[in-house]
This record gives sequence, structure tokens and C-alpha cells, in this order.
Amino acid sequence: MTAVDPETRIPDPIDLDRAEEARLRAAAGLAPPSPPAGSEYAGFELVGVPDRPLQTEREREMYTLEEGEMLLNMGPQHPSTHGVLRLVVKIRGEMVTDLDPVFGYLHRGIEKLCENATYTTVLTYVDPMDYLASMHNEHAPAIAFEKLFGIQAPRRAEYIRALVVELNRVFSHGLMIGFLALDMGGLTPILYAFINRDDVVELLAAISGQRMLFNFFRVGGVNWDVNDEFLSRLGTWHGTVMKSIGDNEKLITENEMYGVTGPNLRASGVPFDVRKAHPYSIYDELEFDVITQQSGDVYARYLQRIDEIKQSLHLIDQIMDKMPHGPVQAQVPGIIRPKPGRAYGAVESPRGLYSVYAISDGGPTPYRFRMRDPSFISLQVMPLLMPGHLIADTMAIMASLDPVMGGVDK
Amino acid sequence: MDFSLLLGLGRFVLATTLLLLLTIPTAFVVIQLELKVIALMQLRLGPNRVGPRGLFQSTIHGFKVLAKEDTVPDQADRATFTLAPWMVYMAAAMSMLVIPFAPGFVAADFNIGVVYFFAILGLSVVGLLVAGWSSYNKYSLLGGLRSAAQMVSYEIPLTLSVVGVVILTGSLNFSQIIAHQLSHGWNVWWQLLGFPIFFIAATAEINRAPFDLVEADSEIVAGPFTEYSGMRFGFFFFAEYVALFIMSAILVTLFFGGYLAPWPFPAQLGGFIGILYGLLWFFAKTYFFIFVAIWMRTTLPRIRVDQLMGVAWKVLLPLSLINLFLTAIAVVAFKL
Repeated sequence: MTAVDPETRIPDPIDLDRAEEARLRAAAGLAPPSPPAGSEYAGFELVGVPDRPLQTEREREMYTLEEGEMLLNMGPQHPSTHGVLRLVVKIRGEMVTDLDPVFGYLHRGIEKLCENATYTTVLTYVDPMDYLASMHNEHAPAIAFEKLFGIQAPRRAEYIRALVVELNRVFSHGLMIGFLALDMGGLTPILYAFINRDDVVELLAAISGQRMLFNFFRVGGVNWDVNDEFLSRLGTWHGTVMKSIGDNEKLITENEMYGVTGPNLRASGVPFDVRKAHPYSIYDELEFDVITQQSGDVYARYLQRIDEIKQSLHLIDQIMDKMPHGPVQAQVPGIIRPKPGRAYGAVESPRGLYSVYAISDGGPTPYRFRMRDPSFISLQVMPLLMPGHLIADTMAIMASLDPVMGGVDK
Repeated sequence: MDFSLLLGLGRFVLATTLLLLLTIPTAFVVIQLELKVIALMQLRLGPNRVGPRGLFQSTIHGFKVLAKEDTVPDQADRATFTLAPWMVYMAAAMSMLVIPFAPGFVAADFNIGVVYFFAILGLSVVGLLVAGWSSYNKYSLLGGLRSAAQMVSYEIPLTLSVVGVVILTGSLNFSQIIAHQLSHGWNVWWQLLGFPIFFIAATAEINRAPFDLVEADSEIVAGPFTEYSGMRFGFFFFAEYVALFIMSAILVTLFFGGYLAPWPFPAQLGGFIGILYGLLWFFAKTYFFIFVAIWMRTTLPRIRVDQLMGVAWKVLLPLSLINLFLTAIAVVAFKL
């Protein structure tokens, strides 16, 4: 190695970054980064603690360590945090004493995107929010916008909507069961879950043309009517799906919490289901009960999903029986300027109450477009659930809440 | 001049070298088996591109780790960080020394084989703990502590269940344990309680699923191996699969007659053919138990750390003491 003249040496960008960071921190009156810049793992000891003065009482409680406690930073890069969820876990040995979920690593500004799109094109932007429940994502804005425009989707379209939404719920719950098992060390159920998911996805692809982000709903109806391929696939699938649920139940039936909406809430014994409480679409014409579990732990949430899959299959049967003939799309102009006003659309997504609140100022794009994602709320109960459990439970409990970071971070 | 000592030494060095070389293909075969068996159980195809029917997939994995960049964390304790994989690998490889593969086909046939085996295998926990501590990583540290707690706990029921076999056969020499099974039938028939205890404890001892808490990827990333890369990681990886092979081999030797053939076949043959015959049955039985371990991995979820310790101290330890007691009574009563 020849010595490099420090004057002519091209500086390492990382060093420049560090120098800049130190300068900014000094300007803001913050403590300098530790360990000192220059070492490979600068900032290592700070991992977990927010690099700003602690603000709320809750933050001070979380980030003040007692004797024998340690902060463990799980994520955003971690083998099992379901995307880019970051959990800062305060542990004492193997015991979790506190937990702080940190969101925002997958923020794409979908709400803002939607506010800059015409009403009819908003439905294409909400698809990748909660990417395991695209149909539900489209359903809520469709409902809200129809209220805003004062139009009604044809009855056949409402039936097709309920059908695809229930199909979507089946594969979403199926995947949750697989991921829950994976986070508890069972390698196989996830692959079975994906095989089962593929059947449903092929079904939905037959009707919508897409496998993941279906883009099937339209303001005032749905894109296409059911076709022969869809119907024949549905028949075959219906025969095999119960068997595969049975297989999954056999693989995971023995293993081991509040507060939110959806299956997580119902697994704690609260009979709240948007489909029942505030019926939308055609759910008031269908017969179904709100399933609940009493114990409210991970196992209860797992059983809740299994029961809801069976319930969805029951609903699909009813929908197929009752579906009327007719058009599937109301006449809606391409660009609409609705009268100023506001509308709210709420659906029961696989993860709970998913709702959309749209405000119109009379222009072609929504003035405000707000989405309430159920995973965003359900993840925030983790600090209440975790203390006293083990590190291994963190992942099981998180997986049982079934968060989708695309929805959490929007 | 007496050359017997020199000859013995030469034979020992040769056998040890051969066994060390044998560990590499053994690991390749076991890894390949695992890739393929898990794939079939998960309704996947599994590796099918490298070599005929994908047979060289694990081999290419092995050579791949050689080519990977070797990184050491800045804050890591360099000396112990470097030493740890070697400790774990050598512990697994050296315990292979006392396994009788076929009649007379054993590297070191000494009288305290059983004691040697468990003493050497127990050393791997030191390597894992050192790896966890020296990495300067919280996940590694947690994994290292888990491995210490787990392996030390499970060593007790493991060795106690082996004491049952030792009482039964009256020997600490693996060859003599097999010889005893030739005349008295397989030990498993006399150790109906001892065998399951040994099997569960052995699975935990080598960190296989459902006891793979040390490298529980969904919780602590890769445990002590988190900061390792390249060939250092390769050593840990190989050690794990060599340990799986060795544990199956010892299980077969202690409980299933080692290289002895099962009932309808003649138990042993003479001459050179006898060695091949013994090797055949030894490997068939060993790979059967490796298959069972892989099968368990695809089926069972991981158990929690508190359940893990509970099983060791509250269930396996009392059971292994009962087994010991019953075996002792049976040996005296039936003059086995």
C-alpha cells in the first residue's frame, strides 16, 4: 500500500456523512454521535434510542433502562417482522419488559397521491396499501365515492363485490395462519398457505385479470362480470379448500392476548363486525353470525381466522345462490365534479375496520382523502400486550395481530 | 524393536485424518438430503439444477461459502471470534473418532469411548458461547446464552439415559456395546424409556428443530452465527450437520445395534464383505434417523425457551432417573 496524500485523497462519502451529521447535531444542540465517528459501527450503542431529545412521558418510560435491562432493536431488517416494521424491545434476559413499535419505513404518501388523482382513478392507488386485501381497499373508497356522487351500483355488482371480498378474506386469513406458524418456527404451513392462496388468487385473476393488485372495483360497479372460467374454478376450489383447511388445522393446533377491530377484537370476545354493525353492500341480505373467541390470546386469534374462513365460504355459497342477473356497472362519467361534501365508507377488511373518509371541494380530485387502516391501530396495542412475555412471544403475538406494513405506513 | 506403538500411532493419525476428511462429504450428503426431503414435504421441487437431479446443490453451497467475503465486526474480539467456529467444528468432527462404522472399522477403539464422546461433544457449547460473546451483537449474545442454557441442561438427561445402556451392557466401549447387542438383542428393547429420552435430549443437544432456539431465525436472526460470514459461517453450518450425523450414528450404536443387521438378515458376516455389509446397515439406520430429524423439522414449530428448560428439568431428568433405577433393577433381577 502506498501512502495517499491527504490533500488529494477523495474522501469516503460515509466520512462526509458523519462529519455532516456531527455538524448538524452540534447546530441543533444535540449530543455528538457515539461511538466516535471513524469506527465502522458508529452509532452502534445508540441503536434503538431515538436520536433526538425524548419528548413524551411514554418515551422517557420506554427508553430509560434499569439495571439489567437492554434495548433490542428488531427490524426494520429482521427475518420475521412482516415487512419493514421496527420493534424496539426492552428486555431483561429473555423477558420483554416494554416494547415500542416504530412505523413509517414503508410510507409512500398514498393519501396525498389520491388527493391528486381524479375520483375514478383513486381506486387504482389504494390497491397496494394493504396488499393482502386489495379488494377491501377498493371497496371502502368505492362506497364513499358512490355516496358522494349520489349514485348506486347495480345489485349484481354488489353481489360480485361481496363475493370477491369474501374470497380475498379467505386467502388473507389463510396466509396469516401460515405466517403465524412460520414465526413460531413451523416451516411448512406457510408453503401450504401459499399453495391455497394461489388457488384463490387464480380465481380472482380469472375475474379481474390481476393476481395481486386486482384493480377490480369501479365507482358505481365492478370492472367485469363473472365469467365461465371464474365459475368453473370456483366450483373446483370449493371442493378442495375445506380439505386444505383441515390439513392446516392438523399441522398447527397446539400453541399460545386487544383491543382493536376485526378478528383481533373478536378473538377477545367483543362481537363487533362492520358487516353486521353497519351493513354495507348486500351484507344485510346474507345470513351470518359474528364469530367470537373468549380467551383473546394468540391461539384464540388463530382459531378466529379458521372460523372466519369457514364463515366466508358459507357467505360465498349464499352469494352464488342469490346473485341476480343484470349489469355490473352503473353509467359513470370519466371525470366527475361532485358537489362539495363529505362521505365515509367503511368495510370489514381481513384485519378489521378499514374505512375511507373523502371530502370534496367541488373539484375533480378529492380535497382530502383519509384512510383508516386496521393494522396501524392493532400494532399499537403491542406495548400493552408484551410486558412479561418472552422474546419468542414477541413474534408470535405480532404475527397473530396480522399486520401488513403496506397498510400501516400507507 | 517394538513397532506396535508406532504402528498404532500411525493408524490413529491416518484414521483421524480420514475421518476429518469424511466430515465434509457427510455434511454435503446430509444437507442435500435435508434440502430435498423438506422440499418434498412442502410440496416443492427442491434443488434440481446443479448436477444430475440437483445432486450437487449442497456441494456448490459448500464451495460458495469459501468464495464469500470474510467479515469481522469492528468491535468484535478478533481472536475468539476467529477461534469459535473452529472449536465448534472440531468438537463435532473429533467425536466421530469413536464411532464403529463396521466390525473393526473404528478409528479409536478405546475403553472409555462413551465418556470421550460426550465430553468432546459437550465442548461445542463453549464454541457457541464464545461466538455469541465475541461477536459484539445483541442477537449473538442472546443466542450464545441460549445455547449455553440449553445444551448444559440437556446434557444431563442425555448422559443419564446413556448410563442406562452402560449398566445394561457393562461397558463404556462402543464396540463392546455392539457386541453385547449381538448376543442380547438391540438395547432399545431393554431401554424403552431410555431411548425416547436420549432421542429428545440428543435433538436438543444438537440444536435441531423443535429445539432450534439457538438460531431461531424469527426471533434472534441467526443466534451466535449472526455476524459470521464466508468460511467461518460454513464451519458452523457444517458442524451442525456433522453433529446431526454423529448423533444419529451414536443413537444407532447405543440402541439399534450399530452395524448389526436387523432380524431376518444374518446379523454379521465375516471377512471384507462383512465390513461392507456392516457399513451398509450402519449408514441405512443412521440416515433413517437423520430423515426422522428432518421430518420433525418440517412438522413441528419451535418450542419456547421457558418450555424448553421445563422439559429438561421437570420431565426428562426425573424420567431418566427412573429409567436408570429400573435398568439397574432389571440387570440385577434378570442377570443380564
